[in-house]
Formats: sequence, C-alpha cells, structure tokens
Amino acid sequence: MRPMRPALWIKFGNWSAQHRRFDPPKFDRSTTPHRPTESAVALPKTLTSQERVHRMFERQDHDRVPRHDTFWWETIERWRGEGLEDGQNGALAELESDFHCLCWNWPAPWPGREELIEEDERTRIIIDQFGQKARYWKGRSGTPEHLGWACQSSDDWHGSIRRQFLETPLHVQIDEVAKAFDRARAQNQWTYLSGAESFEMTRKLMGDEVTLIAMATEPEWIIDVSKVHTDLLIRDYQAILDAGIQPDGLFIYGDMAFNHATMCSPAMYRQLIWPDHKRLADFAHENGMKMIYHTDGNINGVLDLYIEAGFDCVQPLEAKAGMDVRALAPKLGDRLALFGNVDVMVMATNDLSHIEAELVAKLKAGMATRGYAYHSDHSIPPSVSWQTYRSLIRLLDQHGNYH
Amino acid sequence: MKTLEQLTEAVGRGDREAVSSLIESAMMQEIGPKAILDALVAGMDDIGRRFKANEVFVPEVLIAARAMKTAMAKLEPILSEAGIRPAFTAVIGTVEGDLHDIGKNLVAMMWRGANFDVIDLGTNVSAQRFVVAAREHKASIIGLSALLTTTMPAMRQTVQTLREADLNGAKIVIGGAPITQSFADQIGADGFAPDAASAVDKVRQLVGAA
Repeated sequence: MRPMRPALWIKFGNWSAQHRRFDPPKFDRSTTPHRPTESAVALPKTLTSQERVHRMFERQDHDRVPRHDTFWWETIERWRGEGLEDGQNGALAELESDFHCLCWNWPAPWPGREELIEEDERTRIIIDQFGQKARYWKGRSGTPEHLGWACQSSDDWHGSIRRQFLETPLHVQIDEVAKAFDRARAQNQWTYLSGAESFEMTRKLMGDEVTLIAMATEPEWIIDVSKVHTDLLIRDYQAILDAGIQPDGLFIYGDMAFNHATMCSPAMYRQLIWPDHKRLADFAHENGMKMIYHTDGNINGVLDLYIEAGFDCVQPLEAKAGMDVRALAPKLGDRLALFGNVDVMVMATNDLSHIEAELVAKLKAGMATRGYAYHSDHSIPPSVSWQTYRSLIRLLDQHGNYH
Repeated sequence: MKTLEQLTEAVGRGDREAVSSLIESAMMQEIGPKAILDALVAGMDDIGRRFKANEVFVPEVLIAARAMKTAMAKLEPILSEAGIRPAFTAVIGTVEGDLHDIGKNLVAMMWRGANFDVIDLGTNVSAQRFVVAAREHKASIIGLSALLTTTMPAMRQTVQTLREADLNGAKIVIGGAPITQSFADQIGADGFAPDAASAVDKVRQLVGAA
C-alpha cells in the first residue's frame, strides 16, 4: 500500500511514490545556524516527523526538537508493570519518536549461525555468526562474556575467513525493508537504514585484545578487514536503494570510545578506520541521505575527523564520559547535529526538579543551533520509573518546543 | 644503568624482543632482579602516565602489558629464587549480573605491571566469591568492576557484603563506565578509579605504596 500524500508536503517537499522518496525542499543553504532564516512559507503548528528531522538537519526552523530514545530490556519490563502497553513500541509512541529504523545490517562471515555449545539455568554459550563464542544471559540484557573467537590472526583471516565473508549473500531482506518503509511513510516518519561499522565488526570478529593490538602491530590487516566489511555493508544498502526504497538517513553504530577518550589515537583512527567511515558518509550523501554516527564514550578528540568524514550528526553524547552539548553546540553546532546528551544518571534520581534542570540546560544549548535532537546519553535504565519517564516527555513538550 | 633505562623504554613501546634481550643483557651484567623489576615497572608507570594524559591509547597500553608479561615470564623464576614477591595482592572481578570484561582486564594488566599479585576472578562474580578469594589470598585490594547502570545495585550489595566480612582491612576500589566518585562515596567503597592507569595510583595510595 502506498503512503498517502499529506497536504503539508506540498509546502515542504515533493513525494515520489514510484521511488518511495521524499525530496526535501530547496532551503536557503546560506542560513546561519544560530540565526535561522524563516522559510518563505509560514511554519505550520505541527510538522510531520520527516519534515521535522529534515529541517533539523538543515538548521531550519521547526516546531519542536525531534526525539528518539533507547531503553534497557529490564526498563521496559518494569514499565509494563507500571502501565506501559506495547513494550518498547509503546514507549517510543508515547515519546512521539521521530526516527524510524528500516533494517539493521551487520554483515557476518557465517550468517544465521547460532550454535549452542552449553546451557544452564541462567546462561547459554553460543558460537555466533561471527565465529565468536560467548556466554549470554537468558531473559535479560547485559554484555556477553567473551570466551573465544574464530579469527585470532591475520593467517586465520587470509586463510579462509576473508573469502567466506566475501562470498556471503545479502545480509538484509529487501522485501521486509520495503514493507517497513511503506509503513513508516504512511506515518510520515523519518526513516533510516542502520548497521554496524567496521571497528565494531572487527572487535566482534577478533575480540578487543587482538583487534587493538593488531591496530598497533599489523595495521594493514585491520585496514583490510575494515574495507571488506564496509564493501559488504555498502553492497547491502545499495541493493535496498536499487529496489526503489529511499530512506532519509544512515544510522551507523560503532562504539569506539570509553570514559575518557577514544580506544585508539585520533591518528590511528584516521589511518585505519576513518577512510571507511568517509566512504559510508559519501555513500549516504550520494544517495540523498544524512549520516548519523553512534558511539558511546568520550569522542571529543575525533569530532573534527567526524566532520571531515562528512558525518551529519553524532549520538548519544555520553554525559558521564565528559560529552556536553553546552560546550559542543557553540563550537560545532553549525557543522554537526547533536543528538542526545541528557544524562541517564540524573533521570535515575527520579527527582523531577533535577531532571528538568538537566533537560532545560541541554535543550537550551542544542536548540540554539536548530541542529539538536533529544535522546538520553545512553539507554534508559530500569531505575527510572514509567511515571518519571512520562513526566520527562511532558517536560520535553514544554521546553523542547520552538513555538 | 643504560641497560635498565633501555629496558624501561622498551616496555613503554611494547617491544617484546628488545625487552627479552635487555633482560638477558642485564643479568649478564649481574644487575640484580629487583633492579630489573623496578625498571620494568617504571616502563609501565610511564605508559600509565601517558595513557591518562591521552598521549597513548589502549593499543599502546596493551602492547606494553604484553611486553611486561614476556618480561615477567623470564624474570619470575629469578625473583622467586631471590625471595622477592609482590608486596601486595589484589583480587579483581566484575560484579554479579555483569559479564563485561574489557575494563576489568585492563586494570588487571596495569596492576600486574605495577608488580601487584593479581587474582582475576573473571566476570559475574558473587559477593561471596569475592569474600572467599580475598580471605584465601590475603588480599590487600579488592577491585570491583561494572559496565552497566543495571548492575550498579549489585556493586552496592557486594561492597556491603565485603564490609560485613572480616577481611583484615582490605581496601575496596571500584570502577566502570557508569561509576563515579560520588557513587563510590555513597556505597562506602575506599576508592574509585576513572581509568586503568588511575587504578594503579589509587591502589598504591590506599596501601601506602605511593
């Protein structure tokens, strides 16, 4: 079923049903981010999600701050007992999330593999599609315990895994993406293709220690792994576009930092991984998409490289790792949209006066650039009550409004 | 003395081959094992200082720790023969309910690099296992790690259990992505370290070896 053509889009852009795409209007690109020029058409009271996020990326006036969030599994379980209906989807609907994921893509050498090795009452040990042996919790979230990897040397990689990887079929189901796209378009949502970038994938394939040591001692190997993964990622996304689906963005995940810095130096990142990050950003732009990059941790040292690569937005800006939209927005807000940074540790106090102060401070700084979207600085923990979260949404209504 | 300075530098740049040959060279010059050990620890201290200052990053720390491990495999029999043992023992693990290990492993490496005897209990460690291990190994330091906001309550519970046990004044140090000094104060830990290098400084301070 084709999405309806909403009247508002006559003002803000053109819908092409054949190509499942929204062509954004041609705004005045000379607009300075801190003093946005009003568009020729009066801003309606309420925009669609797609219009809202497009305008956020263009630093144009919009009705309210775009929103999205992430929740721990335990949080959703708690909230079910406190009145939340329809799980995570219900929480995102209450938030009025503006970002809609069409697919998750993480190319792997052994697609679909989930070999059960051992099981007890609380955990399962599995060898997965990356050849990683890990212990997982049953029925709860949490980082798995890593027990071993199939790829432990460049000999392993070049011996068979590289070839195996390159011969894998598409890692996305085009028909499912098309259905998700049509559903999202029917609701005028801003849509994105998601997936993991090469640093995240390399850690998954080889483990942290081998990956990080090889970055220093065998850089050519890491460059090759990164390139092969990125080739496959782009191949899969291209297949989606070739099917006539036109998402609005690429939302790429790759945790490359921890509490006080990036895992590797900016120079090492620039040499080994950055070229493939730039390829992803270039691919996005060549196909009319924006590029959002997700990483936890302190990324202050590489933000210039992100901008140079062409990233349009970074998320979630982890407050407890030292990221602060109040410092970043005045410096970078014209070149990099900022998405997140509302501290979950403050939310976890369930003290609304503290939460309001945190939210207002972050919104004020971000909204001054018109290039800001709400997200927590990581994932909402189960110490936050459903009542508190609903109150936060009301505070967002109150303080995150441009009218 | 030049050999020892070279040894310190070789550990700092993670050069295992150079470390190995310099230890042999030092022994041929009849430099004592304690002096060799001190030179190695100085190399790890230097990498820790540079890590805190963002002059080096995790890959450089890992290759330095790997070089230190190579060195200790060579040196330990001689240290043992000379009756030289680490002055302090640390027990470390990730708290119950949390399976993460990256940060905990880095801290364990850095503590070993500072010549602490480290007993790594792994991940998902119950409070009682910490108590038993601390007693068995007469630990001076107990290190608790948690990556997730969801496992911070388990850290609080573990500290409480350790406090209730009689552990001869063993000091409790905590760390992990969501952990702060304020949380350490709230739950009654003796110390908090924001990163692996700071964890060395913190335990030295707590045991009076700074």
